[in-house]
Amino acid sequence: MPRFECEFEAEVLAAVSQSRWPERVEAALRAHAVACPVCADVAAVAIAVDASNQEMRAAIATPDSGLVWWRAQRRAKREAAKAAGRPITAIQVLALACSAGLLGACFGATSGLFQAALRWVQASIGAVNWKALLASAGALMGSHAALGIGMAIVLLLTPAAAYLMRKD
Amino acid sequence: MFRDATYNDVTRTEAIQEAAAFVMDEETFRAFYDRTSRGVWAYLARITGDRQLADDLLQETYYRFLRASAAYETEAHRRNSLFRIATNVARDVRRRQLLRPMAAVAGDEIERVAGGDQAGAAERHTDFERAMSRLKPRERAMLWLAYAEGASHHEIAETLGLRTSSLKVLLFRARRKLASLLRHTAAPRGKEANDAAL
Repeated sequence: MPRFECEFEAEVLAAVSQSRWPERVEAALRAHAVACPVCADVAAVAIAVDASNQEMRAAIATPDSGLVWWRAQRRAKREAAKAAGRPITAIQVLALACSAGLLGACFGATSGLFQAALRWVQASIGAVNWKALLASAGALMGSHAALGIGMAIVLLLTPAAAYLMRKD
Repeated sequence: MFRDATYNDVTRTEAIQEAAAFVMDEETFRAFYDRTSRGVWAYLARITGDRQLADDLLQETYYRFLRASAAYETEAHRRNSLFRIATNVARDVRRRQLLRPMAAVAGDEIERVAGGDQAGAAERHTDFERAMSRLKPRERAMLWLAYAEGASHHEIAETLGLRTSSLKVLLFRARRKLASLLRHTAAPRGKEANDAAL
């Protein structure tokens, strides 16, 4: 099992962050870093990250703090105004939904055409021979079982694969 | 009637202003921003791999930070919270698949500075960009927080939503991976230089 830490890791890191590595550190520590894989990795990574950090910080010009504050305030006010308007909208939507439901109920109870359509749907469902339908499905599965199982696996695994691909 | 309408308008405006108010005052925020914005920007640019995107996300990060309305005990606590928000902002963007390839980070700037003594530094920089682009965003974030921001294991775990106990191993693996990538990219060039010297 590999070692995750080394007692000299902090010393190496401090030397890198203080720009003392490798010239201005004790020879013993330098020798240790050559032999110790943990310290060697710490030194290599810390030097590279530190150099990149210095370069990036020197190259960028972040927006003025006043501008960021002003934009944040404007956005907060806009969102607060939107949120303040939301309860009214919610009540309006609820009232509209209630009205539509009431109207639908009245229409359903009184309309002959709607009643006839409902009876037709009920009759159609009742007329389906479920036993025969299941039997034919069973026969189909018997003759194409491998294909059916394959398709089921694909249908089950595709969303999982898509999720895992998007994850990282 | 008019009186009522005016009264309602005033009440509504007051309510909006109250809801939009931040816990932190402008002066404190500006000082805090000046201390932290470069670090946060570099962190965002590094974990997203896109400098332009980092500009946009910086504003979003500070906005969410201000809206969080949390009271912070110490500067370190406040700073950790800021980096946690930055991590979440970048993660949200990544989930929406708005990121461009990592290679875009340094872009043309590296090519332009490559001359004389700077050529070596630019090459090393390109190696680093390339190696970082081969890490997972979480690995990049971990390494950046540890070695650029000097964050402790506990702080990194808190920022990235990980357990402190598992962070040591994760950080070790990420570090080993990056170190190995850096050695592999640097090794062929070192050999070429040696051959040329002979």
